[in-house]
Amino acid sequence: MTAADVHRTAPEAAPPSAGPVPGWLRLAWLYLVSRRAPAAVAVLAGLGATAWASLHWHWDVAGGAAAKQAIPLSIETGAAMVIAVTCYGPFGEPERATGRWLPYLRLGAAVLLTAVAFGVLAAGATGGPPGGGLPYGTLALLRNVTGMTGTGLLAAAILGGALGWAAPLVYLVLAEGALANGATTPWAWAARPPHDLGGALCAGAVFTAGLLATTVRGARESVRD
Amino acid sequence: MTATSAPVRPAPQASRTVPLGLARLLRVELRRNAMPLGLPLIALVFWFDSYRIAATMPPLWAERLFYIYGQGHSLIDFAPFVAGVAAWMGSRDGRRGLTDLLTTSVRPRFTAQFATWAATAIWAVSGYLVFMAATLWALSRSITYGAPPYWPLAVGAAGVAAFSAAGFAAGAFFPTRFTAPVAAFGAVLACGMSSQIGFHEGTGWPLILPTNSNNNFGQDAGVFYQFLPDLPMARVMFLAGIAVALVALLGVPVTAGGRRLRRIAAVVSAAGAALAVTGIALATTATVSSYGVVIPALHDAANDRPVPYTPVCANAGIRVCVQPAYRPWLAELSAALRPVAAQLSGLPGSPTRTAQGANLFALRGQPSLRPASGVGQIATISGQPAVLHLPLGAMNLPGAFGLRRADFLDTIKLQTVHAFVVAGRDYGNLAQVAVEAALMKNAGIPLATQATTAWPPSPWGLPFAAASGGGPRSQASYPAPLARAATRFAALPAATRHAWLARHLAALRAGHLTLAQLP
Repeated sequence: MTAADVHRTAPEAAPPSAGPVPGWLRLAWLYLVSRRAPAAVAVLAGLGATAWASLHWHWDVAGGAAAKQAIPLSIETGAAMVIAVTCYGPFGEPERATGRWLPYLRLGAAVLLTAVAFGVLAAGATGGPPGGGLPYGTLALLRNVTGMTGTGLLAAAILGGALGWAAPLVYLVLAEGALANGATTPWAWAARPPHDLGGALCAGAVFTAGLLATTVRGARESVRD
Repeated sequence: MTATSAPVRPAPQASRTVPLGLARLLRVELRRNAMPLGLPLIALVFWFDSYRIAATMPPLWAERLFYIYGQGHSLIDFAPFVAGVAAWMGSRDGRRGLTDLLTTSVRPRFTAQFATWAATAIWAVSGYLVFMAATLWALSRSITYGAPPYWPLAVGAAGVAAFSAAGFAAGAFFPTRFTAPVAAFGAVLACGMSSQIGFHEGTGWPLILPTNSNNNFGQDAGVFYQFLPDLPMARVMFLAGIAVALVALLGVPVTAGGRRLRRIAAVVSAAGAALAVTGIALATTATVSSYGVVIPALHDAANDRPVPYTPVCANAGIRVCVQPAYRPWLAELSAALRPVAAQLSGLPGSPTRTAQGANLFALRGQPSLRPASGVGQIATISGQPAVLHLPLGAMNLPGAFGLRRADFLDTIKLQTVHAFVVAGRDYGNLAQVAVEAALMKNAGIPLATQATTAWPPSPWGLPFAAASGGGPRSQASYPAPLARAATRFAALPAATRHAWLARHLAALRAGHLTLAQLP
């Protein structure tokens, strides 16, 4: 058999899709893929499942307020850490030089992933007994997740995207210490009641600052890896 | 001069062309490691979570290290960061798409990975040791007696190495950007669950968990007897075994190196796993002795010898002597005993001297321990002339876990009157409690607050209250008939009360009197 015997038709150009995907949507999707957002959603879903399991099988740490919040706060911290490491991309300078939509994409991705994190954790919180669920309820979950994500985004902008996960972890320890000592500062929002305005404002301020930092500057690129 | 006339230059020495040695590779990795970036964050967390709290504890090693070593907070503060950074370093080559390139290099892939892990572990373990050295130095400045135990330090260092190995292996096998946060989250969860298991399980395999708070801290360890090293030894075996097994596991895949190297790695990994399992097996044989957790296969009988000491004494109406480590609380102890001793003076069986007894680990929480010997968890009076054997216990000192000075003084008064009136038995009947309440009232504890302040910290609690959760029995106030009887008895003139006690003490101690028979 020779090449001439092969009667396969030459590959044609891909037919145009029936409804072309809008350019902005394709750009957003490509951006999310470059930040591994689909994988992040999968990990967040795993954390939601962990939240469900912790409530269903009563993974309580014995002790006072700090111990009771240890597992829920750890899971919320995990979600914030995952969002923080989605901040940096593989393209570096070329992307920054040519992507004029980049700040909007950064902002949208961070907000979207935070919303997903809240959603899956709230869904996971249904694993508890009737009337149970996460300590302080869904409102506190929203406040904690946004605030901790804010710390992660800030760290990504300052320390680098690779180490952005460390800040929520530090905040977890500080918040647990505040809970153990009965601290009342609103900056330890995780130790405050769900309807506490000061705690909500502080968490919101940190989240806003984190969003601004990553939107405007993006994640810092660290040479030490 | 032509090329042929040029002098022959010696050939370059072989050593100059040898590829980078492992030591040089390690030096490069030490320079390029991400762990130094994490150490300041760990220092902040360590200061806040471990040192800051330990420094507020009473100045005894058992007390100040209870939180750091006993509950494993020094390891908890390090583990998530170390696991996360190690995972980041382990996933580096994979994330950068360099795996194939490095696999075809002259050095086995495992050598490069080992150098990266070793650099990460060196930074992490060195950081741990430096932080702990600084902590021990800072804590020791106000501690006047004894020395800290060093085996728990080895447990922490082995734990840091184990978490670095676990994180690195996770990063090497799953090289994504999410491995680092997931590894850190896993470490948080592991430490939290380990603490949780420790609060429920005081024996068996859970003892091997490094943040399980059931071990040799607390009571009077390091004061009357030594910190037993048995359990820390088993924990070092367990954690070092995990570290070796996980690091050697990196050498097992086909891409790691030649067949010989992979076989050796498999053998070493299996040996590490065997070491870890041996540690667990040893922990299952542990028993709680008077001086702490004993593992027969690791136990050195020399550690069972009590620490010799010369007591320091003061006068509180009667002579009061304590172990020298308790010298800072001798004045408070004397202040608590003085009003009680004044009321009991001259009565049959009243103590002429007070000697401190050791708080022990075994039979913890029991109402009475070795009453015949006069040494135990509650105060007893024995001997001729009578001696009050009073256990203070490092965990009951003012400043420990939120205990106030008033709680400490009240407990001393209660222990003393209880030893005198109930004669070392557990609860006592209503008449005995009423007399105890009256004596405590005249010693400065208001009757209205006794049920909520003096009784709850005692090992036994009120006889008529419901027991809850295995703790001492307590309720908000005395029953009205008891409170009336106690008030009446306390209001008697001192001479009348003394004379009544002298006549009826034997019947009162035997539990033969009722509330109605009190004057």
